[in-house]
Amino acid sequence: MTTAGFIIRNALRNKRRAALTVLSVAISCGLLVTLLTLQRELTIPPESEAASLRVIVRNKVSLAQPLPAKQLAALDRIPGIVAVSPFSFFGGNFREETVTSFAQFAVDPARFAGLIVEGKIVDGSYENFINDRNSCLTGADTMKRYGLKVGDRMRFTGTFYPVDLDLKIAAVFEGTVDDRGVFFHHKLLDELLGDPGTVGTWYIRVASAEVANDVIARVNKAFENTAAEVRAETERAFQMSFISMLGNVKLLIGSISSVVVFTLLLVTVSTMSMAIRERFRELAILKSLGYRREELFSFILAESFGLATLGATVGIGAAWAFWTFTDLQQLTRGFLLYFEVTPRIVAAGAFVAVVLAIVAAVAPSIAVARMSVVQGLKTLD
Amino acid sequence: MTAPNVVTVRGVTKIYQQGEINVTALNDISLDIKAGEFLALMGPSGSGKSTLLHIIAGIDRPTSGQCLVQGVDVTQLNESELADWRNQNVGFVFQTFNLIPVLTASENVELPLLLTRLSGRERRKLVMTALELVGLADRARHLPKQLSGGQEQRAAIARALVTDPNLIVADEPTGNLDSQSAQDVMQILQSLSRSAGKTVIMVTHDPKAAAFGSRSVHLEKGELVNGDASPPRQHAGVAVTK
Repeated sequence: MTTAGFIIRNALRNKRRAALTVLSVAISCGLLVTLLTLQRELTIPPESEAASLRVIVRNKVSLAQPLPAKQLAALDRIPGIVAVSPFSFFGGNFREETVTSFAQFAVDPARFAGLIVEGKIVDGSYENFINDRNSCLTGADTMKRYGLKVGDRMRFTGTFYPVDLDLKIAAVFEGTVDDRGVFFHHKLLDELLGDPGTVGTWYIRVASAEVANDVIARVNKAFENTAAEVRAETERAFQMSFISMLGNVKLLIGSISSVVVFTLLLVTVSTMSMAIRERFRELAILKSLGYRREELFSFILAESFGLATLGATVGIGAAWAFWTFTDLQQLTRGFLLYFEVTPRIVAAGAFVAVVLAIVAAVAPSIAVARMSVVQGLKTLD
Repeated sequence: MTAPNVVTVRGVTKIYQQGEINVTALNDISLDIKAGEFLALMGPSGSGKSTLLHIIAGIDRPTSGQCLVQGVDVTQLNESELADWRNQNVGFVFQTFNLIPVLTASENVELPLLLTRLSGRERRKLVMTALELVGLADRARHLPKQLSGGQEQRAAIARALVTDPNLIVADEPTGNLDSQSAQDVMQILQSLSRSAGKTVIMVTHDPKAAAFGSRSVHLEKGELVNGDASPPRQHAGVAVTK
């Protein structure tokens, strides 16, 4: 017999309790990892170098308020802007779907080419997209997801606008942070809506990151005291403003995570305390045989550590496998594009489990250390 | 030639504090126990016999007084020193056997040896020797729940013996046994004293169990009533009843 074997036998002596403890730690760790990943995905939007050069201009009143199309001429004159295009979110449901599982935007194709510089055309031709008013530029992820090819038609039922779209795929792009979107001619949207003379937002590329703040200030100033004052902001700030609409997500998820960890701690401490209390007499016997306090503490710690580690491995491993091998776009109806359980998050989950194991072992160890052999022997006498 | 003292107890007093009341468990006890003796500590419940045994075995501390075991004053050792000392010098036998239920008989016997530097092979050899000594070698792989009460107590004796301590302390070792098993256990303890030269100190209520000892002392209300006066009795083979 080895000391390790003795510890394992002790840990597994009540198999049902050990299994339930491992399961509770596993579920809690899995949940914690999921929450941390969700927090990361929601609060840290994907970034690219090109994104830092892009500015989005929206109505100062609200994102839902359109902007006059005639603002384009004024924007073209602002120094530091190298490309600008209307950028109107269509929000249609593809085919028979009942939710918008990927975004569609109406753009000016000729101007838009100067905006998504990090993307590349992998199938079809951008020229065809420019030349055909009823065509669209589709992201590679969406093509793959729906098994589409160039020349296929994409039909959308409008949800924001009272019109439907029937588009022919002219080209496929990839290489952007979100290769799901579909872009089509703003002129087509104008035509379908009876030429209202409005756009949802303006999408701008600035000459360099250094001038971005100046450009933002100039754009905001250019439309001050007009019927449609604007709010210009970087693409990242714009994405963050979407997140802020969800409330203080970071605080909310952080609070839920804390509750999960605290509950996990209570469960584990309670289990370990119960397991050790049942064995007070045996621990007293071990003391009488010559085992020191620190040796008994190491037994308890090893047992607690073993159960917590096993639970954490199962929980974190299951969460990683689930989020890695699940079709997240399908599962979340396109709400989440990425849900990456990063090594940092795995490490955070494992760290919590280790701390948990130590904390759970401390209380029973103190009780055992304080217990005299005589007291322990009387426990069941 | 007179055998040397293995245990020398001088002026040991033990006072327990229960709330605001002080309860004197032992009052100024002095006692000498010689090497190879089989001493029966007798007395009614609450007389302090178990407390005295615990102090001699180093699992309890007196309020005052001195307790020398093989020249070491166990009252002066700290917790860690006491643990090491117990491992090397004392074997315990309890009324309720106190085997670890998830370990087999041989693994229970091996427990004290895990604290030594012996190899696995050396440990197994010592374990088998101890089990053979108590006639339990054929039950080495049995869990405690698969053993009878007498067999469990014999395994406990093997555990007490395996580190080859000079002092064996037994607290009511026959208290939970039928008469035949009790007799077997007493014979083993007696032979440890007689043949192996171990000093055995046993707490018992039972005069028939005490009769296996070479000497018995009586305690009442924390005081020795007959000191070292009891003559040694050789009483092997007497039926011991529960």
